[in-house]
Amino acid sequence: MSYLSLSNVTKQFGDTVVVDNFNLDIDKGEFVSFLGPSGCGKTTTLRMVAGFEVPTSGKIMIEGVDITDKAPNQRNVGMIFQSYALFPNMTVAQNIGFGLTVRKEPESVVKSRVAEMISLINLEAHANKYPYQLSGGQQQRVSLARALANRPQVLLLDEPLSALDAKIRVSLRAEIRSIQKALGITAIFVTHDQEEALSISDRIVVMNAGEMEQVGTPFEIYNFPKTRFVANFVGSLNTADAEVVDPTKGLVSVDGVQFTSAEGTKERKKGDKIKVAIRPERFSFAALQHKDNVVDAKIENITFLGSVVRIQVKIGNTNFNMDTFNNPFLELPKIGSIEQVTCSKEAVLVLDE
Amino acid sequence: MAQTIVNSKSNKATTNWKVWLGVVPFFLFALLFLFLPSLRLVTASFTAPDGSFTLDNIRQLFTVPVIVNAYKLSIQISAVTAIGGGIFGFLLAYSVTVGGLPKSLRSVLITFSGVASNFAGVPLAFAFVATLGRQGFITHILRDYFGMDVYAAGFNLYSFAGLSLVYMYFQFPLMVLIMAPALDGLKREWREAAENLGASTTQYWLRVAMPVLLPSILGAMILLFGNAFGAYATAYALTGGRIGIVTIQIGAQIRGDVLYNPGLGYAMAIGMVVIMAISLAGYSWLQAKTERWLK
Ligand SMILES: Nc1ncnc2c1ncn2[C@@H]1O[C@H](COP(=O)(O)OP(=O)(O)OP(=O)(O)O)[C@@H](O)[C@H]1O
Ligand SMILES: [Mg+2]
Repeated sequence: MSYLSLSNVTKQFGDTVVVDNFNLDIDKGEFVSFLGPSGCGKTTTLRMVAGFEVPTSGKIMIEGVDITDKAPNQRNVGMIFQSYALFPNMTVAQNIGFGLTVRKEPESVVKSRVAEMISLINLEAHANKYPYQLSGGQQQRVSLARALANRPQVLLLDEPLSALDAKIRVSLRAEIRSIQKALGITAIFVTHDQEEALSISDRIVVMNAGEMEQVGTPFEIYNFPKTRFVANFVGSLNTADAEVVDPTKGLVSVDGVQFTSAEGTKERKKGDKIKVAIRPERFSFAALQHKDNVVDAKIENITFLGSVVRIQVKIGNTNFNMDTFNNPFLELPKIGSIEQVTCSKEAVLVLDE
Repeated sequence: MAQTIVNSKSNKATTNWKVWLGVVPFFLFALLFLFLPSLRLVTASFTAPDGSFTLDNIRQLFTVPVIVNAYKLSIQISAVTAIGGGIFGFLLAYSVTVGGLPKSLRSVLITFSGVASNFAGVPLAFAFVATLGRQGFITHILRDYFGMDVYAAGFNLYSFAGLSLVYMYFQFPLMVLIMAPALDGLKREWREAAENLGASTTQYWLRVAMPVLLPSILGAMILLFGNAFGAYATAYALTGGRIGIVTIQIGAQIRGDVLYNPGLGYAMAIGMVVIMAISLAGYSWLQAKTERWLK
């Protein structure tokens, strides 16, 4: 039995369905991310787990107990807000102890737990400061400690890093992940940043317009996107309209240029209109080793993106991006020249609409 | 190169000069109607009727019973209406902000408060005389249709209680105007974070919302206190001077129908300035405290 489960959870505001038939089972200690564009219902789903919204239908259970209709203060679920939401009139230590104090824990318990939490987030030097005296990153760590002090069954994080600048965002997400692992706490992390979701999660739920598009490990989501939406949203992607040429051989034609796909055309008929997707990094220059898909490409433009170099090419009449790792010995083709490029059969994805 | 620097410098100087031009009227105004009168107030309060220097006026502030009483009365009426208007205004502001009454009601209340907080003096006194005076129409309605004779029951518009009631009319709207933004400043996330951590609504109000609001509430009440303390025309128009609050006593000393000692009047004004200054200092101290929290 799963630790946290959402079954057939639907949420409507008036006539608009914001979360549609959401089903998810999360194991104890698992770190799950909700990834999706703005307005797709991530926060609403999280707020239903916290009790701030009541599902229109469906059931939410933690450790086999139905909590669907419990008030927020009757659940033991910790929530981290994007805006930190620290109490401005309390010091760091008072903020962290708040949950224990209102639950009437003995003074000694409050004291020792607060000390434990403060050392967990390395803010010993700031215990008696007020929130306004802390940086954004420090405030968010305090809010993490405040939520953890109650020993919650589940930790909910709603875009906790999006108000911070890039460097802190990366270091704090690693810190969150390592604390989560060390405490073995079950967590749901909401984000619309795919890199963040890929780097931090055990599993990712990709959401679109209130529906779950795909659930899987970061590896699965990135390498085997099931839908065009997932493929597009996670990582950058070349997509092109294509036509099935030979379903049994996996042969497709992109505006006259033929590609072979490892899977995905078996259930189609010759002449079917489909969409194919190829990630930029799956293309390479066809050197000595012979590959499945070797095609002529005209080099249109070259852009340095730091660790990778993005090359815009034209294959037939279709534009594609190809990425290659940057290194000082890299020999780049001339703009305007025609080169042979290749990608494996597995790299050619056939997408559901 | 050097040429450019010189040029840009002189350019800057002209801009500066022009910028200052805009505030000249303000400083002129402040000089003529704030600074010079204050100076006159100070010198005059140390001047005896014959023009010589004296500490007599200041001494009388603390010794003459009428004057001591005037201060007592002013402080009482200001405190009563600041607390009463403060509580009433806070509750109103609460119900149109956090309380969740419809948005339209909020704009109606705010507009009303903007007007009412400035409604004072003779028109306000007259409005009350016309409604709650001995012959006021509400007094009549209450007596004729509800059998309640408020005057027989001891109410008197021209008493301390009556004057307080009239003051309330401009006090509570001022509270609404100050508290509505402060209540808006309470973040929804604070409430949710508190609930999420296991707090009840009462615990949230006692431990988070009230402490956050308290400086604003106290600050606003101090402002209300000063507002009532400085009122003159309302009290004069309503009671004609029978309730001897400080402003009325000052008026009597300076205009001199019966009493005439401008020096004493000025000294009383200095006393008022001191009380107002203390109030304002308290107000800005409290204001700074919340601003620091809420930034
Ligand atoms: N209380 C509410 N009343 C009506 N509509 C709401 C309410 N809360 C959310 N919505 C709507 O539900 C949809 C989903 O909102 P939600 O906040 O869950 O999105 P999100 O995925 O968290 O987006 P973001 O990335 O922008 O935070 C939005 O279209 C939003 O306008
Ligand atoms: Mg959201």
